[in-house]
Amino acid sequence: MVYTKKSPALFIIGVIMLAIWYGAVNGMLDGYMEHLAAGKKYKYGAELMGIPLYFGLVAAVIGAWQWFGSHTEGSWDYYSSTIAGGMFILLIAMLVRWFIAPEVAVISMSMGKVGDTGKYIHKLLGLNYVVMGIVTGIIVVNVFKVPEWAKNGVRLSRLGLKTGVILLGTLYSAAELKNLGGLSIVMIGFFVLGSVGLVLWMGARRGIPNSMGGVLSAGMGVCGVSATVAAAPVVQAKSVEIAYTIGTILLWGVGCMFIFPIVGQLLDMSYVQFGAWAGTGILNSAQVAGAALAYQPDGIETLKVAEIFNITRVLVLPIIILWLAMWYVKREEHATKVNVGQIIFEKFPVFVLGFILLFALSTTGVFAPANHYKGKYFDNTIVKASEMMTDAQIAVLTANADKVQRQDRKAALARLIEGRKVASIEDDATIRGLVNSKVMGKKAGAILKKAHKAVRHTAKKVKAFRKWITWLFAFGLVGLGMQITFASMKQAGGQPAVIGGVVGLLKAILSLVVVLLFVSETI
Amino acid sequence: MEKNFDRGSALSIFSSDRKEDFMALAFALIIAFAVYVSY
Repeated sequence: MVYTKKSPALFIIGVIMLAIWYGAVNGMLDGYMEHLAAGKKYKYGAELMGIPLYFGLVAAVIGAWQWFGSHTEGSWDYYSSTIAGGMFILLIAMLVRWFIAPEVAVISMSMGKVGDTGKYIHKLLGLNYVVMGIVTGIIVVNVFKVPEWAKNGVRLSRLGLKTGVILLGTLYSAAELKNLGGLSIVMIGFFVLGSVGLVLWMGARRGIPNSMGGVLSAGMGVCGVSATVAAAPVVQAKSVEIAYTIGTILLWGVGCMFIFPIVGQLLDMSYVQFGAWAGTGILNSAQVAGAALAYQPDGIETLKVAEIFNITRVLVLPIIILWLAMWYVKREEHATKVNVGQIIFEKFPVFVLGFILLFALSTTGVFAPANHYKGKYFDNTIVKASEMMTDAQIAVLTANADKVQRQDRKAALARLIEGRKVASIEDDATIRGLVNSKVMGKKAGAILKKAHKAVRHTAKKVKAFRKWITWLFAFGLVGLGMQITFASMKQAGGQPAVIGGVVGLLKAILSLVVVLLFVSETI
Repeated sequence: MEKNFDRGSALSIFSSDRKEDFMALAFALIIAFAVYVSY
């Protein structure tokens, strides 16, 4: 089978990308960018100057070869034919991120804020480039159908998401992981084991086969599709049961991906709270990432929190497989014994180990100082002279120093006043707490913030990783949208859908309650 | 969708999840190396 289609499509995609770059570099898009910025600075100007040029050149050159060259069956044909579909997804992601989502925001802002919420409708509904990219993908596949020349490449989206998750490992500092790790282990432990147990119990009560209950419990409890596939041989699930489970997970997951961010906006959740909720309550890994990025499209703090929860969940997979194996053998007298260890070894998702590998590399300080916090690191030896505190600023702080009650804050403030810069990383944390408490008033607070910024430096490598991760996820999620067909969701039905719905809803609501009660902005 | 391909699955161009995971790891390491040397 020859996969490469002799079509001008990829070449045209390349030309469109190059035209965007040309328009941006020569100022032809300035007026439009100003309109999209709505009085602020257009956020994506720098991206427009580089990304469409590089990818446009690649697409135009390979597109010309695919259009005019001759193609024969083989591995080269198979893999190179994916480029057209990959570029198709990328072009959609570019258009949505740079033009369509900002245009929707402009229209939404012109309509004014919604009632008492104090928010614009596009914020409330989460109409940003992530959500719109996924929706565009869903529309393309269900309304227009994915073009023949793009079909092979659309299957690259999961590769993009996995690469993004592995690279996320570079962004965590040991301190962040320590804070989030404990919280995620407790929450995931409770909710994963709880969901698996509940599905098995409900399955027995409602009389579904043990194989169906087993595979559904893994899918609902752990991490969606990959857990379903891993659990299937242990409980000897039939293909139709796997299909039912995947359909139920997809139906539930897609719904959550759109609803969670809206609920998060309405409840004004912090990034940590929302990340913890999405990472616990949403079933499938890709949709966890989708919801987290939909909640915070121009930053990845929420994604980082959500993925830690998601990865903790994946790490629980071997325990669940063992549990299901014992449960199934106990209930089915004629069950053939399977090698559980081998199944765990064969099905365990290696990309999670990749994440851990890159995190381990990152903690050595190879990409950024190991003590970095959200890509910023502390160093008070490279404070510029212009950033040292002035006499006037010292006077304001001294005048307001009496308002500080806590001894540690008083001492940190005294050292700051004496040295004219933040003395240590511990003092920096203490002073941040002082700013958040707002006891010293606005003017002093602003001065303290400035002193904090002077000793915090951006790690350029971390910044570069953030860009890569954002684009890999944008690519993966548009492609994910193109794989959400109504036909695949129709696979859900009957008892599995009822049990999945009840357990999924309970998990979403209970995890929301736990997050709101016990999780605060701790990183 | 499955009928359109004689390799991989409906969701992936690779024949197994394990192969896809290793490819993702390879890409991630290449990107990490590129970032390391260029910034």
